[in-house]
Amino acid sequence: MDIGSFLINAILLVFLAATAIAVARLQNLFAGAMLFGIYSLLSAGVFVVLDAVDVAFTEAAVGAGIATILMLSTIALTGIKHESIPIRPLRSLLLVAVVGAALIYGTFDMPRFGDAEAPAHQHVALRYLQQSGDEIGIPNVVTSVLASYRGYDTLGEVAVIFTAGIGVLCLLGGSRRRRTDPADKS
Amino acid sequence: MYIAGIAAVLVTMALTLARAFMGPTVYDRILAVNSFGTKTVLIIALYGYFTGRPDFLDIALVYALINFIGTIAVLKFFEYGDLGRDRPSQPDDI
Amino acid sequence: MQLLLDAISWICLLSGGFFVVAGGIGLLRFPDFFTRLHAASVTDTLGTGLILLGLMLQSGFSQASVKLILILVFLFFSSPTAAHALAKAALHGKLVPFVKR
Repeated sequence: MDIGSFLINAILLVFLAATAIAVARLQNLFAGAMLFGIYSLLSAGVFVVLDAVDVAFTEAAVGAGIATILMLSTIALTGIKHESIPIRPLRSLLLVAVVGAALIYGTFDMPRFGDAEAPAHQHVALRYLQQSGDEIGIPNVVTSVLASYRGYDTLGEVAVIFTAGIGVLCLLGGSRRRRTDPADKS
Repeated sequence: MYIAGIAAVLVTMALTLARAFMGPTVYDRILAVNSFGTKTVLIIALYGYFTGRPDFLDIALVYALINFIGTIAVLKFFEYGDLGRDRPSQPDDI
Repeated sequence: MQLLLDAISWICLLSGGFFVVAGGIGLLRFPDFFTRLHAASVTDTLGTGLILLGLMLQSGFSQASVKLILILVFLFFSSPTAAHALAKAALHGKLVPFVKR
């Protein structure tokens, strides 16, 4: 990663941390939901800089789009102010620090960013690249991986998305059916 | 040259973030989020050119769309207090 | 010819960056919501338009340019609509525009 990308990444991460602190300090839940939208946009920017384009795509659709709307629907059902519960800030800080330190310790074993020797590039990627043309007969390697090598996985994902779509239709379509009811009676 | 554009957008992101943190009204925050979305679109497009791989503009495209939908949903929530209920009919509504 | 295109594209990028920053300063410094909305609209239309135009000039006739044009078209439709909806919602929400007396 060159110095320009590193700087952009660092600045975006600073923004991310500032947004997180601001969300934690806000009392108004609506404003918190709005700031979560910004948080999601920022993290998607970080993902793009880190070359994880597919994750950024998902973050765009789920984090900035759906999650904000879900949070707003929840606020509409409950209330806009959050009750002040007595919290123990020191204990929470200690917990967060310990978990964060454990996670950072875990990253030491990770391969370097963009390392060609990383396990992810050693295991099956070579076989996909060299033999998928003969084994599957599809010129596009990504397509043959998704549709054939991981066919069951893709089928499962499609089923999940289908179920989610039905769920959304059930939730959103409810009010429309109510509206047509009086017309049916009359 | 792209880095100058990226720097400008990053500075503006900081200013927009400050406005989103300060408020004071909810509309200011919605405006800041909407504006921030546009800046994210810009920075993804600029970054693609900066690294010499403008193939990821699709994400910027998705963002431009989602940002708009999100803003309208938020405003609908805020004006009518609900996302699913039918809006009351107002004859003077444009 | 290439030099001329580069020069125009750089001018577009730089002036776009200027308008973006100017809009951001306005968003932070203006006295009330409606004036801030006005400042943010400058960023969304002029700044974004110029930056995307500058990028388009860099890539010439290609798939990237088509995507940039699509982004531009979406933004040109959506951001004034969002600004209008925001202003209308704020007026409904009994927010009084700032008037210098």
